[in-house]
Amino acid sequence: MNPADAMQAAQAPVADMTLLGLFLQAHFVVKIVMVGLLGASVWCWAIIVDKTLLFRRTKEEMDAFEDAFWSGRSLEELYRSFNDRPATGLAALFVAAMREWKRSFEGSGRQIQSLSQRIDKVLDVTIQREVERLESRLLFLASIGSAGPYIGLFGTVWGIMTAFTSIAASKNTSLAVVAPGIAEALFATAIGLFAAIPAVLAYNKLQASVAKSQSRLEGFADEFSAILSRQIDERLSLAA
Amino acid sequence: MALTFDRSEPGFWLSAGVHVALLTLALVGISAEALPEAQEGVPVEVITENQFSEITKGERNAEKPLSDAKPRADRKAETFEEREPENAKVDAPAAPTRTADMKVASVDEVPLRINEPDPQEVAKAAKAAQEKAEKAAQEKAEKAAQEKAAAKAAAEARAEAKAKAEAKAAQEKAEAERREQLDKLIERQEAEAAAADAKAKAEAKAKAEKAKAEAKAAQEKAAKAEAEAKAKAEAEARAKAEAERQKEIAEAKAEAEAKAKAEAAAKAKAKALADAKAKADAEAKAKKQAELADKFNAGDIRQMLASKVPSQSTGATGHEVQRTASLGAATGTAQRLSPSLRDALVGMLQQQIERCYSAPPGAAQGVVLPMLDIRLNPNGSLAAEPRIMRGGASAVDQSIAQAALRAVRRCAPYKIPAQYAPYYNDWKAINAEFEFSAA
Repeated sequence: MNPADAMQAAQAPVADMTLLGLFLQAHFVVKIVMVGLLGASVWCWAIIVDKTLLFRRTKEEMDAFEDAFWSGRSLEELYRSFNDRPATGLAALFVAAMREWKRSFEGSGRQIQSLSQRIDKVLDVTIQREVERLESRLLFLASIGSAGPYIGLFGTVWGIMTAFTSIAASKNTSLAVVAPGIAEALFATAIGLFAAIPAVLAYNKLQASVAKSQSRLEGFADEFSAILSRQIDERLSLAA
Repeated sequence: MALTFDRSEPGFWLSAGVHVALLTLALVGISAEALPEAQEGVPVEVITENQFSEITKGERNAEKPLSDAKPRADRKAETFEEREPENAKVDAPAAPTRTADMKVASVDEVPLRINEPDPQEVAKAAKAAQEKAEKAAQEKAEKAAQEKAAAKAAAEARAEAKAKAEAKAAQEKAEAERREQLDKLIERQEAEAAAADAKAKAEAKAKAEKAKAEAKAAQEKAAKAEAEAKAKAEAEARAKAEAERQKEIAEAKAEAEAKAKAEAAAKAKAKALADAKAKADAEAKAKKQAELADKFNAGDIRQMLASKVPSQSTGATGHEVQRTASLGAATGTAQRLSPSLRDALVGMLQQQIERCYSAPPGAAQGVVLPMLDIRLNPNGSLAAEPRIMRGGASAVDQSIAQAALRAVRRCAPYKIPAQYAPYYNDWKAINAEFEFSAA
């Protein structure tokens, strides 16, 4: 064997191909990319879990409220039962509309001419707020879903640059010199995809849930607004 | 986000926990898996151009590279051939090839040609010898006849009985001689035929022996022819003598004639026998050789190889004897001048030549710039006479080129910077156009 070969064999880095080894061998920039992507993955899954639970809870609450609403109990009774605790979803709409109604009748003078308009406004604002609450943090999922692969690719490109630099430095084109660098570089892309794929899927699913909830809120608001405006018209005709 | 656990929003902690668990699993699981040992398919060693030239310059078994490494030379070349770097590859000799029509049987021809004289020449020589012998015999016979005639004239006076007895004695003597000769001839022929047989059996020596046998046969023939001629001449002489004596002794003449006839017949018979035998022998030999040539024989190949002329090589030759083996040299054929370096060198040479240049009278500026071929030694002196590679056809151009040549010769040791030393192989032959101001 050529002495030069033996020397190179001795010098060839013993590649630690475990995940931890890959991470520790990586360049500083690649490390940052990996850690960032891992953090993003953790955060994405946190959002996914939270939102899934929230939407399930919201749906249950909506179902329960609709059952109660259409059970034939009086609105005053309902209002009293829901007013004492912070309401979400349909209940929030109901409480907001009823509060506006009560304020209009409780004062010294009756201001019921434009009550139905005010109730519509209040309902709209409440819907906005509720949807916003449901939608919050979903954009992060969208961002990770679209940017994750690119961030991972950045780490990969950087790692491959390092690998080629090491080729140039060692003047050795053997696969043993190139492989660890490329492996750690590809590891960055793998983490990027690991974070991005669930994010994209979850974002689409959760966005659809938000849209469903929003339409349900709007439907209830329209119905409730119709009921209230009928009541207002009856009171106006009695008063007149 | 507050990092406190919220029952309604357990996502972060859940997600973080699952990630940590997954990572731990992956670390444990994947690190436990033993990857196959990295083995390189083709070991590749990258060497620089300089290292390559060092390798090609030297020898494997040398100890270290020398700065002035030269190709190994065991003795000084009688005619040293300095190859230009551009022609080095073209001059490489082609490997020898075996011709298709080469046959094993052709082995026989080699010694035949070397040892044996041309059969035509042999025949000619035999013929000449025969003619000579005939001539000599004739002369002898004539002489003998003259002598005999003189003797007869002298002896006529003597008694007839004595003459008769004398003639008889001479006849008897001649006969005995002839018989002896014949016996000898036949014996020799037989012995030689036997020898030829034995030789034909010895296959390895067959060719040489055959040649010898043939030569001998030819010799025999010649000898036989001579003997024949002699006998003939003698017979003639005797016949003449007898014819002279015929008048005197008819009986003796008749007897002698009959004897001569019988002898001639016996001789002819013996000769025909020997001829036939030799012919049969030759035929048998030829047949055997043809059979041998058809058969494959490893011994023949060895024989053929052995028959080749031994190698004439007596070692590598060179400009001077170089026995110190070098592991390589820092300067090899691989090093080439860069274009800029070459331009600079040509410029330097031009500057140095220009100082010795004097324009031929009347020639202001030629149409064609002379291209000169300058051979340099490493120390800057001329290695060979400079030549004009290309000059103009006109008288002015010619004179300018000649003047440039003179200038090159006059300025001979050129100063060449040390930085060019490693590239000597590239600038030892410079072909460049030179333009001199007509100063």
